[in-house]
Amino acid sequence: MKKLSRRQWKIDVRNGILHRRGHSKNTRKNGRNKGIVNGFDVNKWIDTQKEKGLNALANGNRVTIVLPEQLNFSKDYDTTALHLNAIRKLTQYKYLSPRAYRLESVNFDYITSISTSAALVLTAEISKWDDSVRNRLTPNIEKWNPDILVNFNELGFFDLFKNKPVNLDRFDGAARHNRKIVKYIKGRCGDDQKTRVLKENITQIVGNKIKKWTFLHSGSSEAIVNVSHHAYPKENGYSEIDKNWYLTASYNTIKRELKVVFYDQGIGIPKSLPASDLWEKALEFLSIFPIAERKKDEVLLKAAVELDRTRTEESDRGKGLPDLLEFIRQRCDGYLSILSLKGLFKLEIKGGVETVRSEHFEHPVNGTLIIWSVTV
Amino acid sequence: MKTFNIGKDFSPDPIGRYRTDGDRSGETFREDYLKPIITSLKSDETLEIIIDDGVESYGSSFLSEGFAGLVKYGYITSEDLLSKIIIKYTNDDFEFFEKKIIAYIKNAKFNSKLYEPTKS
Repeated sequence: MKKLSRRQWKIDVRNGILHRRGHSKNTRKNGRNKGIVNGFDVNKWIDTQKEKGLNALANGNRVTIVLPEQLNFSKDYDTTALHLNAIRKLTQYKYLSPRAYRLESVNFDYITSISTSAALVLTAEISKWDDSVRNRLTPNIEKWNPDILVNFNELGFFDLFKNKPVNLDRFDGAARHNRKIVKYIKGRCGDDQKTRVLKENITQIVGNKIKKWTFLHSGSSEAIVNVSHHAYPKENGYSEIDKNWYLTASYNTIKRELKVVFYDQGIGIPKSLPASDLWEKALEFLSIFPIAERKKDEVLLKAAVELDRTRTEESDRGKGLPDLLEFIRQRCDGYLSILSLKGLFKLEIKGGVETVRSEHFEHPVNGTLIIWSVTV
Repeated sequence: MKTFNIGKDFSPDPIGRYRTDGDRSGETFREDYLKPIITSLKSDETLEIIIDDGVESYGSSFLSEGFAGLVKYGYITSEDLLSKIIIKYTNDDFEFFEKKIIAYIKNAKFNSKLYEPTKS
């Protein structure tokens, strides 16, 4: 046994105090805190967001996220993103200080309406959480709204769990929904052939072949390629098992509206682009101010879709994102929305007139969410 | 004239840019299929490429790497390549991909990059 030096003793005492307070070890590299155990940051984030409307109940360090009545990125973006982000925040670190908040449960009881996109993102977040706790989650559906239960059952949400509820089909009669949802597909790099299953399932719920499907297939395939190339870089700590993407579709039988939704949980399109342009460098400089930071995601996202630029800066690279637009352009109808981090890019065609809109939000989407919507 | 049917002779699901994306990538198509056929053509011979038989669609990354890569890595000039290939399809939607292939080949800079296989 070696006697500790005075210096080492001081370091150990300091680390012990920090650990008990829920702070991270102050690991410094190049003068920047890399924050390995960041429990205190999680606590602070949750407490701050509760003041902004996050419904989170803490019992000691165990937190329950109570999902709101409506989860919908177009009708109530802030509340939806806030609650979904809270799940990610509470589950992102494997090793936390004992005083740091941990996710105990997610309460679905009060949801009365959920969009297909929000349902897919929620499923992806719960799937990520379930993976991190070695598939030990169990759903408690006793107080769920029947419509929501049917929606999630169609989506395939309960297939996530080893102990999934049984006889869920009995709720079909109680539900009043007019939306059919295709069972979601979880894939990794190279799993593009799964889009053929999506085609079959969509044809089944719509009852007809989808006109210009070729271009939806092309867009979704390119989204899958982009996930494997850009969404989960090794330098950000991602490994092969993280490279997941999620895909689903829904059909509103009254509006005859088909929505196809693709989601990845990666770094987001704006972060995967190089900031080599002078204007973008200026924005990066201004990013120390919150408003400019939010604007940056919006601008970079729009640039990514419209300007064929990618993080590799090769002239023949980066053609993938414009492929996403083609399905809507070929049909001359509908819209494409891309939400990535705090930015939104939306292309809409109505009566042959094409409009493009971009927007920035206070809360990010953790990753990239792509929505194609057409009337069939 | 020779014929190459992408859906039957290569894959009904072509996707991705590099071999690291899988064995149906643009790099695989170019190096293992298209380049050997192109180099084996006689001076007055052409290659008919059927692009829509069993294939759902193409992404830009596959098309640019698969076709324009021949020019970029200095195997053949844009003009020569365009004079040697004839793109064939019966599904009208695939006219879009034919135009893309031609545009990528035309815009590619001859011998602008050294080819380094992404996977051995």
